[in-house]
Amino acid sequence: MGNKQNIRNFCIIAHIDHGKSTLADRLMECTGQVSERDMEAQLLDSMDIERERGITIKLAPVRMFYKADDGQEYELNLIDTPGHVDFTYEVSRSLAACEGAILIVDASQGVEAQTLANVYLALENNLEILPVINKIDLPSARPDEAKKEIEEVIGLDASYAPLVSAKEGINIREILEDVVKYFPAPQGDESAPLKALIFDSYYDNYKGVILFVRIKDGTVKPGDRIKTFRSDKVYEVVETGTFNPALLPKSSLAAGEVGYIAASIKSIQDVAVGDTVTNAENPAPEPLPGYKKVQSVVFCGIYPLDGSKFNDLKDAILKLQLNDASLIFEPDSSVALGFGFRCGFLGLLHMEIIQERIEREFGLDIITTAPSVSYKVVKTDGETIFVDNPSHLPPVSEIEHMEEPIVKADIYSPPDYLGQIMDLCREKRGTFLQMTYLDKSRVQLEYNLPLNEIIFDFFDQIKSRTRGYASFDYEIIGYQRSKLVKMDILLNGDVCDALSIIVHEDSAYPRGRMLCENLKEAIPRQLFEIPVQAAIGGKIIARETVKAMRKDVLAKCYGGDITRKKKLLEKQKEGKKRMRQIGNVEVPSEIFMQILKTNKD
Amino acid sequence: MAGIYVHIPFCKSKCRYCDFASFPDKITFAESYMACVYREMSMRKEELKDYTFNTLYIGGGTPSVVDESYIAMLVAAAKKNFNLTKDAEITIEINPGTVSAGKIDMYSKCGINRYSVGLQTAIDSQLREIGRIHTLNEFVTCAKLLMGKNFSVDVMIGLKDQTVDDIIKTIEVAAAFGASHISMYALTPEDGTPIYTDYLNGELPDSDEVAQMYEAGVKKLKELGFDRYEVSNFAKKGKESRHNMNYWNRGEYIGFGVAASSCINNIRFTNTFDLDEYFKCILSGHLAVIDREDVDIEGQKEEFIMLALRTSKGLDLDEYERLFGAKFQEEFAAEIQKMREYVEVNGNFLRIKDEYLFVQNTIIIEFLNK
Repeated sequence: MGNKQNIRNFCIIAHIDHGKSTLADRLMECTGQVSERDMEAQLLDSMDIERERGITIKLAPVRMFYKADDGQEYELNLIDTPGHVDFTYEVSRSLAACEGAILIVDASQGVEAQTLANVYLALENNLEILPVINKIDLPSARPDEAKKEIEEVIGLDASYAPLVSAKEGINIREILEDVVKYFPAPQGDESAPLKALIFDSYYDNYKGVILFVRIKDGTVKPGDRIKTFRSDKVYEVVETGTFNPALLPKSSLAAGEVGYIAASIKSIQDVAVGDTVTNAENPAPEPLPGYKKVQSVVFCGIYPLDGSKFNDLKDAILKLQLNDASLIFEPDSSVALGFGFRCGFLGLLHMEIIQERIEREFGLDIITTAPSVSYKVVKTDGETIFVDNPSHLPPVSEIEHMEEPIVKADIYSPPDYLGQIMDLCREKRGTFLQMTYLDKSRVQLEYNLPLNEIIFDFFDQIKSRTRGYASFDYEIIGYQRSKLVKMDILLNGDVCDALSIIVHEDSAYPRGRMLCENLKEAIPRQLFEIPVQAAIGGKIIARETVKAMRKDVLAKCYGGDITRKKKLLEKQKEGKKRMRQIGNVEVPSEIFMQILKTNKD
Repeated sequence: MAGIYVHIPFCKSKCRYCDFASFPDKITFAESYMACVYREMSMRKEELKDYTFNTLYIGGGTPSVVDESYIAMLVAAAKKNFNLTKDAEITIEINPGTVSAGKIDMYSKCGINRYSVGLQTAIDSQLREIGRIHTLNEFVTCAKLLMGKNFSVDVMIGLKDQTVDDIIKTIEVAAAFGASHISMYALTPEDGTPIYTDYLNGELPDSDEVAQMYEAGVKKLKELGFDRYEVSNFAKKGKESRHNMNYWNRGEYIGFGVAASSCINNIRFTNTFDLDEYFKCILSGHLAVIDREDVDIEGQKEEFIMLALRTSKGLDLDEYERLFGAKFQEEFAAEIQKMREYVEVNGNFLRIKDEYLFVQNTIIIEFLNK
């Protein structure tokens, strides 16, 4: 091969659930990358969490060979992308490594909010876009309307869009032909100094850091000495290769190709995703343009359940960050929870995924505090600070005023649910902007909403109130002055700093009451009575009581029973290890998420 | 001193809460079974020749459903094979519906000097509900037969529709007819028993209600002169069950029959729960042990603690040091400090305070698995 003219680098963008991973699997099958027999459903979603939730989080590149109708063989590099609103950053990373994007539109649901967001990203990156109408096998498919929507809403010519069913394997070859025909071959000069964009990386226990790269100029092969632009450290390349989707060694990578580099890189902080790799002996004069810097919007504290595991947690977070540059963190400490980290995330789903990965991939038990957003605090001395940890809020006397992040939310829904959505937005302190009928069956509502209401339970609420029909997308548009107060929770009379939250004054009372009720249910009864109180600035606004335990005894404990009863007690003791001692109260580690629950189950 | 336990796995019908090895439909095998038990005893004779036993406990099932002559032979076999002290406590569990004057006479002649009567409740509707075969009247008849003898009565709390008054009445009946010992247990709905369904459907009193029944029962028992010496056991002075105290002191004991457990020389072992398998083993000249656990020093400590803290007297600190070569108060200084509200040192004993005995698990587990 080696001929750039026969390489196509592309990605697939789609709304969540529109069939992206299934289509990727079909493309691989169709090019003989994997036989149907060997195929485990959804190959690219390699993480357990991804398969379980049916979503793609991590980019998983794969190289395929395709013999086109013109008689030539093409190398197709597919870089899968995540579809969820939280992972826009990941999408932009993969887009920067491609020349083309397949845009999947569900034949029955049409263009969705997320589809739009990703299309704009692709256009920003000058990608050629190939619309594909998927799920045409469904009885509810309306491919002509979907095409019309693509033309009207996005402004793309959809007349040539292939009508496919990834699930049934219909018209898959047509897509491959179009990829070859419409997507440009990569540009780039093989003889120029090496410039390779790092679009992902992960840590391999044997090979060190594995860099996922798109070679823009030059070549790289084992034995080459390389460096990145952000660090002066020089590494010798040990292995280069492509994605099968498993790593497949290849003697060299040249301009236009997508592949990986292993160079015994041990320190995961030295290589950042978005950075450019070049040759240490013959460096390129300037790096490739990096990505848009990500902004964390949701923050929470992560602490080891077992305080002595702080260093293990640190290693885990460092390794995850290598693989997910959008995760930011700094050391933090709490009176209640000891040493841990304050972490920033792209959104709630991102937060959940990271928490799950720490627990599953690193086998660590962690405690996470309730999510918060970053508030702007203007102090009486004129200084402005940003606070995302309620326990770091300055005393009320030093606060002149506070501002909270506001998002512009686009909500798409069938008209039947407009009332419910508007009620919800009103409850969540939203400001109505406008309403647009996209067609008979779909309305777009635009609202400004405080981000701290969104992270609370907005997503669940909108799904439940519209029976899952509505979808929404949001972007942060700035800060707005607001009457915010810090609400503390007292367990047995002592403030538990890890349970403090910042709330709008008007919702403080109901939130305080609800939180105390939830905590009362979640805290197991102990040997003494435990008052659970919510307080604002020392004033108690709600109270519940966890009654003292009155019966906890093994019945008849005679001869034969002793071994069994001993096991029961040991099990009870094990259960206790999942608890965290706060003052003299023992609480389950999940308790800090009670703040997110709206009502008792 | 050590104890002997013999399990009689037969009954007239299975109670709804029972998850013990007991086979109501196999009573016809009683004769063969008893023959096997005598044989099992002789198989253990040599191994236990240096032991002295001061208790023999015949439990079940319902030992009083088998012919009283078998019981007499059983006691004789125990005496023949083992060094049973002259003043040994010899107990038999009896069901009010299954005794007669002749039976009691035979028991007493063969040396049985203590009876454990499964009254459970004095309310007939509740007796029917849990599947007991007797009535309050039958208990009265039985208690009259036992007049002047040393007997204990079992009382259950936490039954469906049970009230505090029902428990008081049951205790009063037991005391009035001369019981010297009362065991008051909370019903434990075991998975697999019919009563577990009641539990799953929320038909049983909740833990607060049970605690209330327990507290009322304790108070009544105290008024009537029964001292609590273990969380569920109450006795007139000097009438504590020696056999059970041996368990809580982590003493040694040997069990015979189906599902019987033993603890000898820090090895715990249990016989098969399967009647046919038991027959097969014993008749072919083998013991019927299916489970064996060497209890290591840490395990011994745990058992010592969990058992001792069940008792009112508490954990014997000197005995702990003698057994394990360490001072309990030093080894568990942090735990004692943490639990200081709930435990107290009384002479050479560390005990759970009276008012916390019914929530002892939470306290005991602090001292386990260091």
